[in-house]
Amino acid sequence: MTVLSWPKDILAVLFQLLLAGGGITVFAVGAFVKNKPKSLLFSLAIGSVLSAAVAALLIDGGRMPFFQMLDVGVYARFFNVLFALVAFFSLLFSHQHAGLRQVAGDEFYGLMILAVLGMSLVAGATHWLIFFLGFELLSLAFYILIAMRRDDLPGNEAALKYLIMGMVSGGFLAFGIAMFYASTGTLDMPIGLADLKKVVSPTGMLLSLGLILSATGFKISLVPFHLWTPDVYQGAPTPVTALLTTGSKIAVFAGLLRILMLSSNWLWAHATPVLWTLAAATLLTGSITALAQTRIKRLLAYSSVAQMGYAVMGVLATREDGGLAVMFYFTAYALMDMGAFGAISTLCASPESDLDELENYRGLGYSHPWQAALLTICLLSLAGLPPTAGFIGKFMVFKAVLQAQYIVLAVIGIASAILSIFVYLKVIVVMFMRSQKDMAVTSGFGVEARLAFALILFGVIWAGVFPSPLQALISRIITSISI
Amino acid sequence: MNSTPLLGIIVFLPLMGALGALVYRQNERACRLFALTVMLTDLVLVLSLFALNTSPQLAGNWLRVEDFSWMDSLGIRFTLALDGISLLLILLTTALGALAVLVSWREITDHVAAFHFFLLAMLTGILGVFLATDLFLFYLFWEIQAIPMFFLIGIWGHERRIYATVKFALFTISGSLVMLLALLSLHIIHARQTGETTFALLQLMHTSFSLPLELTLFGAFALAFAIKIPLIPLHTWLPDAHTEAPTAGSVILAGLLLKTGVYALLRFAFPLFPAAAQFFSPLLLVLGLTGMFYAGWIALAQEDLKRLVAYSSISHIGLIVVGLSVWNVTALSGSMIQMINHGITTSAMFILIGMLDERLHTRKLSELGGLWKIIPVWSGFFLFFTLASLGLPGLNNFVGEILILVGTFTDRPWAAVAGFIGLLWTVLYGLRMLRKSLWGNADPRPDIADLTNRELTILIPLCIGVLWLGLHPGPALEIIGTALAGLNSGKGLLTLAP
Repeated sequence: MTVLSWPKDILAVLFQLLLAGGGITVFAVGAFVKNKPKSLLFSLAIGSVLSAAVAALLIDGGRMPFFQMLDVGVYARFFNVLFALVAFFSLLFSHQHAGLRQVAGDEFYGLMILAVLGMSLVAGATHWLIFFLGFELLSLAFYILIAMRRDDLPGNEAALKYLIMGMVSGGFLAFGIAMFYASTGTLDMPIGLADLKKVVSPTGMLLSLGLILSATGFKISLVPFHLWTPDVYQGAPTPVTALLTTGSKIAVFAGLLRILMLSSNWLWAHATPVLWTLAAATLLTGSITALAQTRIKRLLAYSSVAQMGYAVMGVLATREDGGLAVMFYFTAYALMDMGAFGAISTLCASPESDLDELENYRGLGYSHPWQAALLTICLLSLAGLPPTAGFIGKFMVFKAVLQAQYIVLAVIGIASAILSIFVYLKVIVVMFMRSQKDMAVTSGFGVEARLAFALILFGVIWAGVFPSPLQALISRIITSISI
Repeated sequence: MNSTPLLGIIVFLPLMGALGALVYRQNERACRLFALTVMLTDLVLVLSLFALNTSPQLAGNWLRVEDFSWMDSLGIRFTLALDGISLLLILLTTALGALAVLVSWREITDHVAAFHFFLLAMLTGILGVFLATDLFLFYLFWEIQAIPMFFLIGIWGHERRIYATVKFALFTISGSLVMLLALLSLHIIHARQTGETTFALLQLMHTSFSLPLELTLFGAFALAFAIKIPLIPLHTWLPDAHTEAPTAGSVILAGLLLKTGVYALLRFAFPLFPAAAQFFSPLLLVLGLTGMFYAGWIALAQEDLKRLVAYSSISHIGLIVVGLSVWNVTALSGSMIQMINHGITTSAMFILIGMLDERLHTRKLSELGGLWKIIPVWSGFFLFFTLASLGLPGLNNFVGEILILVGTFTDRPWAAVAGFIGLLWTVLYGLRMLRKSLWGNADPRPDIADLTNRELTILIPLCIGVLWLGLHPGPALEIIGTALAGLNSGKGLLTLAP
């Protein structure tokens, strides 16, 4: 048993410690401090997320995993910063939104922080136990966050759906991990995945990875595991949806990407046809189903399903480009989907209910130009049109996929892109080109949301026009990857 | 390679102006004046290019190349290059851009700042398309020019604007996404063959393909370009877009956006895939001729003036494609000069119809008639530009048409004959339009005024253009000729017969 060395090991997991500490502090303050200043919990949450981000930026934990369990190297740090960033934006959007909906208690902010902790565990795990722990922590936090509005029926339905689906996928994952242990004799990811000699039962190994892929497939809503997505996205408080669609998906994807990168060629050869099929199904189903939606959150939910299809395309090409395309894509996706849901979260039909019907977005471009502008740019980015981060992301994914010789998949991807253009244009048309509706749209557009708006807008455009620094950073991460 | 990035400034000045226009949200007049100033400055900058050099010193007959590092890890560079063809086209772009601002002075009254934002941003896209020689950069500009047009038609258009603009966007973006796939494939194939990752046109020309692959890639590029041109049977978005667009939108659409398709075919698709281009050129020829006849035929039946001119535009551009598919110096010079001519006359027609619409609130031929008696100055201009577009000798379109037909005749005589008959169609629908609008019985419309000074300011430069290119096309043809001599593929195919 190795002993914890001070301060090296503590610093290596400082990101996780700060989040855990932050979450607990928020709970404690909420429970024990009477007559709190209004924004105390919010400030605490922001503080812990930002300090964690700084920790992840500055402290290199080294190439070796923390006690063979948690990657603290560049790969994990990249994603940790990304999670902290989306959580930061999500918190900024939450502040006024949660205040209006009367859910801005300690549990709301505390659980958001713990969700980020779960994300970082899933993305960084090099041991199946940590992966499971992170997966469950993530799910647990979201079960409650989605059900935050206790008297809201759709919210409850959404939470129940997410709970059941989450339980099932958690069961899949646990069983998959058990199978993994049974067929390799280890719970250590790098050893079990890469070392073929360890595999006692190839069938058991494939079954185990099949189960794990299904479990992760639920979380990243790959078709056919996507059915919960629209209901949950619609029912959850919008800033929570924003965090769910960006953070939790990227986290599980980062874990999946690590599993695939560690896999031996034998496993990879078995995984590719499955991933190919999942990608094609996800791309087409997502974009076709999105065509028929009339509520914006459902529409964005299906579109985010399609977006995951592009991500799987990028994953398939990792043996060619080492994951450059897919990691860039995630960064772009985090920004643009956060921006789209964030813009929606600042609009309410009444103080209690979201502005959800697409009909009610008529003329929004003139009554609320800033929200409409952010939503438009994020939608254009999701559609993959320049000069946005989403365009560069799609460009890199398609390039990687063609390089890896998946021509048919690339054609399917383009077909899906054409379909989804129609979807996104539909929203833009409603906002700018239909005559204004006589409907009082209140907006919770405070300073925090404005800050998030400005940062996201800047990020989406900047990564679309000057993507080189980000690409160079990701390339450096890939070359020095230690997994 | 040049000390001042003049081309870069020319391309991005409208975009800066677009952002600047948003500052003048409160003051419409200041916004219009600002946008006009920006476009006139840009026009002056383009004219200064004429003064700098019109005889090429660089290899490939480029007049000017500006090359900056951009996304080097992906092999993408910011490369703008100017040759004679681009020079004339960016001159047309900035001139029509300034006119588009003037044309909208009275017509656009809602969301003025946003209108000028989209208008100027689109001009940056178009200028970029005409100058970019890095394929990625070209693609970027190609997409950017479509998005503002989507807003222009959708927000400031007429009754069925949403249908028209969504159709426009879906057609063009679908085409360009297919092109994106081909562009990436080309890049990857080139990297496999030579080991260099690049999107530079001049390098990518030295890629070799098997014929089926080359045909596929050419097909994907040509599809995107054919949608923009638009070639029959991909043209159906154009009449709708034109009919519903505000006048400035129609001017840019007919005058510039359609030209980007032809230009891209000439600059990228043909030189990159010469064997496929030769293979497909009979098809292009037939599609061009079919377009002439079919669109001319449909134009004969149109009631809406804008729709009529839109179809005539398809018909004219059919002839330009015929010239392109023949690929000899005479026909190509004809096609190139015809792009400029068509840009001038068709824009003028749309501007005139827009002015009429502002006065009478109708564009239906059945509700017009006898305009010559009511608004003689307008009618005079209308007659003049219609005759120019019919190809009256001495006016600009004649020069282009005759060059295309002569060039076509040397290689494919039957096509030239068919093209000549096709031109007769244009006379038919042109004269029908004149008869029904200018002559006939006039409804008593006492309240409409003739052209104002602002409107004359718009039309007179266009008249000068028509007369200049009609009577003295020499200098322009010379510029085009030198550029064409440099326009060869890397593989020595497609060498131009004189």
